[in-house]
Amino acid sequence: MSRPLPPVEDIRALVGHRFPGGHYTIAHWENFLLTECTGSEPLPGDIAHPVALFHVPILGAGTSIGEMFALGQADSDASIGIESYDWEFFQPLREEHPYRIDAEITEADRREENGRMFDRIAFRFDLEDADGKPAARTTITWHYNRGKR
Amino acid sequence: MNVKVGDEIPSWDMPSVLPERMRTMAAILRDPNPVHWDRRVVAKMGFGEHTINQGPLGLSYMVNMLHDWTGPESIRRIQMRFPMAVLDGDHIVARGRVTAIREANGERLADCDIWLEREGTEPPLEGSATVKLPD
Repeated sequence: MSRPLPPVEDIRALVGHRFPGGHYTIAHWENFLLTECTGSEPLPGDIAHPVALFHVPILGAGTSIGEMFALGQADSDASIGIESYDWEFFQPLREEHPYRIDAEITEADRREENGRMFDRIAFRFDLEDADGKPAARTTITWHYNRGKR
Repeated sequence: MNVKVGDEIPSWDMPSVLPERMRTMAAILRDPNPVHWDRRVVAKMGFGEHTINQGPLGLSYMVNMLHDWTGPESIRRIQMRFPMAVLDGDHIVARGRVTAIREANGERLADCDIWLEREGTEPPLEGSATVKLPD
């Protein structure tokens, strides 16, 4: 059973929503398991696998994938589709280094393509190292599928 | 490192996408989406008895390809689109091609098209990357 279609005004009003922000430190065990999942050998020294730039910003900003689904009033967890990622690295991410993360919703609107309706929401995350230098920036854009309407 | 526009990046092979890795990844990401660990949910979506790979994991195969080519500290930017799902059991090959060589901020950079290849389908993931070339 699908949820009622959220008002488009509710979706558009998400632009500018800021997450609490906070800090995140990538633990060695976490990077080890993450790297293993990718099929790679551990990286040299304390370098974290760049794929950490998905979950580190989300959790460090004080949110979660579940909350991001809920903010867009997802029909169900399985109704989310990925449009794109844009990941910029200003320095390699490293284990056991605290990163400051700030995040906000930068785009939110309704689209219809080929009879399929979805809400398109973009989340931007900025990471700084302990010295306040930019470490990375990522923009995640998801589709909240609303089915055929 | 001698690199020119049009060069192919040495490919990186994932012989079989493993469902166990999706489960570990779901725990690390705190990702509640059941498509990554519950085949019954995915079957109802019309993908058959499979689980769907996390987007970051698919992207990571191209990261590994770039690391093998230019080193583990070389990636400056990745822009990725996700037109199709990658499923457990898929044989995936990460590929790439150099589209430009340029200098910025004192670094010699290579812009590249990158994508995942799967036999019988269009690329499930495709995008671009910028890497710092070794001296």
